[in-house]
Order: sequence, then C-alpha cells, then structure tokens
Amino acid sequence: MNLLLSLLLLSQPNEPLAARVTEFTLKNGLAVIVYVDSAAPVVSTNVYYKVGSYDEPLGHTGLSHMLEHLTFKHTDIYKPGDFDRIVDSAGGNNNGFTSESFTGYYEDFAKDRYELALKIEASRMGKCVFPDSEFESEHQVVSEERRLHDNYPATELWEEYGATACLVHPSRNPVIGWSDDVFHFTVQAARDWYHEHYNPANAVLVVAGDVRPADVKVKAEKYFGGLKGAPVTRADYYAVEPEQHGERRITIRKRVRVPSLIIGFHSPGTRDTAEFFAAEVAGSIAGSGQSSRLYKKLVTELQLATSVWGGNSVDRDPGLFQIGITPKAESLIPRIEQVVQAELDRLGTELVSDRELQQVRNQVLAGQFFQRDDISDMAYLLARCKILYGDWRAIEFYPSGIQLVTATQVRDFCHKYLKPDNRTTGILVSAKEGR
Amino acid sequence: MRHFRLQIADGRWSAFCLLAFGLCLLTSSLSALPLYRDSLPNGLIVVTYEDHRLPTASLSLVCRSGSACDPEGKAGTAALTAYLLARGTPTVSGDSITSLVEFLGASFGGSASGDFINLGTQVLSKDVPTALDLLAGAVLNPAFSPKEVELARSQFLSDAQRRKDIPQAQVSLEFAKLVYQGLPYGNPTNGDTVSIPLIKREDLLTFHGTYVKPNNCFIVAVGDVQHADLVAAITQRLGSWASAPVPRPSPLAPAFPDGIKVKLITRPDMNQTYVEFGHPGITATDADMFSTRLMSYILGGAAMSSRLGITVREKGGLAYDVRCWFDRNTLPGAYHATVQTAKPKEAIEKMLRVIQVMHDSGATRAELEKAHNYYTGSFPLTYSSSGGKQYQVLSMELFHYGMDWLDKFPDRIRAVTLDQVNAAAREHISPGKYWMVILGPVTKEDLGLTGVQWIE
Repeated sequence: MNLLLSLLLLSQPNEPLAARVTEFTLKNGLAVIVYVDSAAPVVSTNVYYKVGSYDEPLGHTGLSHMLEHLTFKHTDIYKPGDFDRIVDSAGGNNNGFTSESFTGYYEDFAKDRYELALKIEASRMGKCVFPDSEFESEHQVVSEERRLHDNYPATELWEEYGATACLVHPSRNPVIGWSDDVFHFTVQAARDWYHEHYNPANAVLVVAGDVRPADVKVKAEKYFGGLKGAPVTRADYYAVEPEQHGERRITIRKRVRVPSLIIGFHSPGTRDTAEFFAAEVAGSIAGSGQSSRLYKKLVTELQLATSVWGGNSVDRDPGLFQIGITPKAESLIPRIEQVVQAELDRLGTELVSDRELQQVRNQVLAGQFFQRDDISDMAYLLARCKILYGDWRAIEFYPSGIQLVTATQVRDFCHKYLKPDNRTTGILVSAKEGR
Repeated sequence: MRHFRLQIADGRWSAFCLLAFGLCLLTSSLSALPLYRDSLPNGLIVVTYEDHRLPTASLSLVCRSGSACDPEGKAGTAALTAYLLARGTPTVSGDSITSLVEFLGASFGGSASGDFINLGTQVLSKDVPTALDLLAGAVLNPAFSPKEVELARSQFLSDAQRRKDIPQAQVSLEFAKLVYQGLPYGNPTNGDTVSIPLIKREDLLTFHGTYVKPNNCFIVAVGDVQHADLVAAITQRLGSWASAPVPRPSPLAPAFPDGIKVKLITRPDMNQTYVEFGHPGITATDADMFSTRLMSYILGGAAMSSRLGITVREKGGLAYDVRCWFDRNTLPGAYHATVQTAKPKEAIEKMLRVIQVMHDSGATRAELEKAHNYYTGSFPLTYSSSGGKQYQVLSMELFHYGMDWLDKFPDRIRAVTLDQVNAAAREHISPGKYWMVILGPVTKEDLGLTGVQWIE
C-alpha cells in the first residue's frame, strides 16, 4: 500500500462520508446534497446562494447581508412575520447568515415536517417581493446592527486591519458593509441583487438528518422544480493583491483598557495546494492552543501577553496568515513584535519536530469526528465545499492534505511568506494612553 | 463503532470492578433514552447519555458550588479555582497536561457559573481513560502552583479589563449589581479589576477544600461510552475520594425596587445606546417555571416573532435585537429585558408598554398554542448534538429535574394552560419596579424618561 493511500485511509472516520451522502441536480440547475444521520428524529434544511460580500460592487458593501434580512419579509405566499411565526409554530429553528462567499438560510425541524422548510425556501428563492414600506424598517434594523459593530473596539481594529492588509481584494470589506454604504442602501439595489443572484442555478440545497434521499428528491422536485434557473457567472479570482514590498501598519486609538495586536502576512489560498496545507500546519504550530510556540513564548515564558491565537485563512483566493495577541500593556508591544518575528523566523529556518507535525494531524483527525456530531455543522461544511470547491468531497480533501505536509514544506512556507516585507501590523490602544 | 472499554490490567483490578459493579446495581434508567444514572458510595453521581454514532465522548465533572460561593470581596474565586484545577498536579505540570491534551486533539478546561464549576473534556473515545485520569487528578490533587496562579490571575485581570470595553458586558455587570444588591449572583463570575488582585492562592485552596467534594459533585458523560464501564473506571479513580459536609450560599431573594431606578452611564464616543432593565425573578425549580417560560417566550423570547420583537424590531425598526428572559438558577435569579438602539427613548417606552400589556391582559390562546408548538417541537433539537445532550443532562442533574426530564418535558409544557400563563404574567412581572441601566451617547435630558428615579 503506498503512502498516499495509507494516509487517506488513516484520515477516514470509521464510516466513509460517501455512505451517508447523496447528490443530484435538478433540471433547473439546483444542486441538492442529502446527508443521512438518523441518530435523532430531526432534519436541517439549508439553502445557500453563491453570493456574498466578495461579489459586491464598490459603494454597495453589505448589500448581500441587507438582502438576507429582506428575504425574511415578503413573498408570494408569505407576509411579513409569517416566516418566523410559521417556523416557531411548527417547533423549528430558522435563521440566515451572510459570509464572504455565500448567503445561507436554514430551518431545523422534527423530521416529519421538513417539507415545510422546502416550501419556505422555494418561496424565498423565487418569489420574494420588496415593497418600499417594508424596506425602510428593515433598513433601520440593519443600520442598528451596523452600529453594534461600531461600538466594539476590537471590531474596528479588525475591519481597518483587513482594509490595510488588502488593497484590492474584496476581503478588505466587512461582510456587514461599511457604515456609509449601509446607511444609503436603496430598495432598488436590493431588488436587483435578488433577481441577479437568487435562482436555483446559483444555489445549493442541503438536507441533513433523519431523511431518505429518495424522499428528498421527490420533494425537492415538487417545490423547486418549477423555478427557472439562470446560471450566474462568478469570478474565478476576485482580485490579485499586488506584491507587498514593505510592512504596513495601522494604529487605532479608542477608549479601551486592554490593547490588541494583530500581525499578519499574505498567504496562499487553497488553489496553491501544497503551500496552503503547509500554511495551515504552520499556523497551528505557531499559534493554535496553549501548547503553540507563540503562546508558550509570549504568555507562559516571557509573560508579555495574556492570550495568543493564530492561524491561516481558508479560502480559494490568497488570504492572510494571522497572529492575534493581547499584550499585557501597550508599552510591551514593540518587544512582542520582535519576539513574534523571531519565532516566525525560526520556523522559516529550522524544521518543526515530528511531534508538532503529529499533533496537528491528530487534531485534524479528531476534529473530523467532532464536526460530524452536529447535522447543522455538516450541512454547512457540505454546502461550503460545494460552493467554494465545486465538490462536497473537499471535506475529506482537507484532512488528507494535512497528513501529507512535511517539516520541510512548513519551513519553506514560513521562509517565503512570514517575512517583514510581507507583514501588516494592526494595533488597538487607549486613546488616552497613547497621546 | 469503537466503544470505550475498561482496560483490565490484573486480577486485583478485576475484583475491584466486580465490587464496583455490585455497587451499581441501583443503576437507574427511568428514561426511554439511553440515559443512565448511578451514585457511588461517597455520593459522587455519574449520569451517562450513551450515543455510539461517533467514536467521541465528552465528560464534565460538575461541582454544585459556583461563583455564588465566592468569598466576600473576592469575586472570581470559583472561576479561578475551576480554571486552575485543570492546570496541574504536584507531579504533572499544567503545561504537560496542555501538551498531552492538545496532542490528542482533545480539550480540557475548567470554568464557572453562578451555580457550579465545570471541568470539561472532549476526547476520542479511545482516550476516555486519559480523560478520567485528568479529571481525577484535578479534583483530588490540584497543585495551584504559585506560577500558575499568578499567570491565571493576570489573564483573568486582562479579561476583566476587556469586559469594560464591551458595552453589552458592562451593562450586564452593572445591572447584576443593581438587581442583586450585594447578593452572590450580583458578583461577576470571573471577577473584576478590584476583586481579582485580592484573590490569593490560599483562597483557591480553601474553595477547593470546602466545596469540591464527591457528595457535591456529579459527572455527566455523553457519547461513545458504556455506562457500566464508565462507573467502574470512575470508581477506581474516585471511589476513595472522601465526602464531607458542604456549606450552601445564602438563599436570600433579592428585593424589588420601589419604582423605576435608572443608572445612566453617558458615553459620547458611542453611536448607540445599550439598555438592560428588569427585577428579581424566580428559581429554575419554581412551581411556575413552565408557565413563566412560556409567558416570557411570548413576550420576548425571540428577536423577531415575540411581542417585543414585532413591536420594537419588525414594526419599529428600532433595534437589531430586543428580548427578555428569566434566569434559570438554583437560587432566585433575575428577569431581564435588553435592547441596543440609536433611539433609546422610543425603544424603552415601547418595551415598557408591551410588558405592561402582557402583565395586565396576558397572552392570547393563539400565542399560547404557538408557544406550545415551539417548545414541544423544538425540544428534540436541543439535544440532537453531543453539546446539546451535555447541556440538557447537566441541567437535569443540577436542578434535580429527574431522569424522565427529557421524556416528559413536552408533556409538561403542553399541560400549561392559558390561565397559568396569564397568572405568571401577573405574578412574576412587576411593571413599574425595575432596575435599569442605560449606557450610550445620551443624557437624562435626551432620554426624557418620566416617572423614574435616577441613581447617581
């Protein structure tokens, strides 16, 4: 048995995922994935649209999120308030969310009533209406949600950090949108966004739980089959960041008692397979958990900080390898920056140990089991993989890839990417203390 | 499926297991679910929810004494104790434990709430013996090494400072101080910037020595474990743990204010106002627990479809989130209502009006039917995952709800009548007797609230 096959088998939970997953596509282009888990008599029904903040044009950041709110309001058969009233009355939970790459909706019900979820989602997919009067009140709600972000100092740091590190890629925009854009949405923009993106050919339906795939197929056809599909062309790459030739820094001064520090580097996306997996392993060794190198150095040994975390972003496009630190005091930040870079330099020159590599492998393998525990989590992962990578099997691609990473690849990744000229540093400090 | 099986090492161990099994003859499974409960001779209770879908297990060792038992002026003692229980024994350092746990892809840590401290671990089922070793070492022989104590204290202090930077956290802390008026639940569970520096290693040793006793603890296990095997393994590790009388926190109930008393914290740097108000509530075992829960759900249990949600958010467009709830604690908790809004005067007035109407006129039959359907229908969703099972079983044992809690919950909800819901509204909501905290870019004049007393 060759090494690759051994590792792939090693990375499989005790039952192959394929035994639980059925996939088919309706004629109108709606991709349907059924995940069977009969441990509890419940079903999670999810519809994900291939539209998120990455797709938004300049001046309309947050529009996907605004639309997500509006699609809970009014369709051909549902009036404002009906969605939640109907779901609550049937003993279900429902919600929606928006991310960089997709917008998702779900209803979790007892298994005997999941058909209701399909009916709701089919109506949302093709039959939403947006009266002017209803837009305004929801626009105010979304504006309040935006203000919630404004009042958390750490959020401001994250938003401005992203916009500093990324010059052209849409990851520089917050999913909820910049305040000025949010406060000036129009109902027509929301209508246009809906008609452009909400149709079966631009969506994935995932039904997870105590269901029979054949039953889902019949019901999916019944509710979604009559909707017209219109494929949406989506950018393969959203934008390529220009190569960085020197450190970027941002300092935010607000009314805070505890400083925060983010140190990040441009890093490869999942298309650059070998480097991506090396980045994942490096991120884990550098900053994941209390046994990570940076936690031990900064918190336990030198006691310069009270918390450390780190990791690499998982996205198709290149992203950021980031370390987050809570310094004990603002005055310690320069020293912390030195220590972090020295540790990262060491990762770029010395090989990590076998035990460190094995720890990351163990964590990923165990994580596979833990994530399968919740049907909603599984539905999310299946949909995410289908949308980002075109195949739900990418769930298994990740642990397999991690198993194959070598110490040399980790060192080479760190040497190439974790260097000062590729670094962006973000600092949040007290408005008083810093002046 | 791989199940956790006891590793029998020698004859002496076998004899011990037989004894342990003999002690477990009273294993109770009064539930239709794979739920089992046993008590060791020293009073330690073991409750297992077997679920063999995946080769994973989560275990919690829960001590029925939480931050409500913190010494006066030393809020955070229970939480620091819980955290440090997982940070080493005299022979195994905290770093060694972390290294082992993270190498296994597992988790292990301690935390506190008002009513209990919880040592929790999540592992692959093959590693359950290791998890039990960690739990046993933590409760029997914690080191509380000076180095670990100092490090933890600095981390707790940093977190306490950070909470002051978060508007919602600050409002909640201020509200708790007002509503509990010096009673234990009023203290911040993880301490504050005043109390944490005062906590010494001796306080942690005392907390552990006083409260962490087998007769004051229970273990909840969920996942790929066999209850009988687990009880035997726990007996082997914790059977000799000595029981002792444990003091209880004061059962005093907080007092109602004689009007609406408002503490205003003006923050010109913000663009939104955070509001929390309420008054003393009930216990998690109150006879009106079910009727109060249904009433509160109708009033403000969901951000969008409750009366508050419809009025303040859906129709008013005044807030992203508005809700109300009753605490579920062993001692009398609080009733809370919260909102975050750029138009606080309008939002507060609407909320007060909606709550008053519920108090005066009660719910409708249609609302109760919807609430019945919601609770009975969604209840299985609350324990379909391991985390959900852990939460439900922990609550069941903590509040002594009985082994049939999960089976009977829907029937008990369904049995609540409209008269009972309306009585709960009258008896457990007291309009006009609120503690209120307002934090935001507003002054008294901006708010223009009438009939309130300002707390200076």
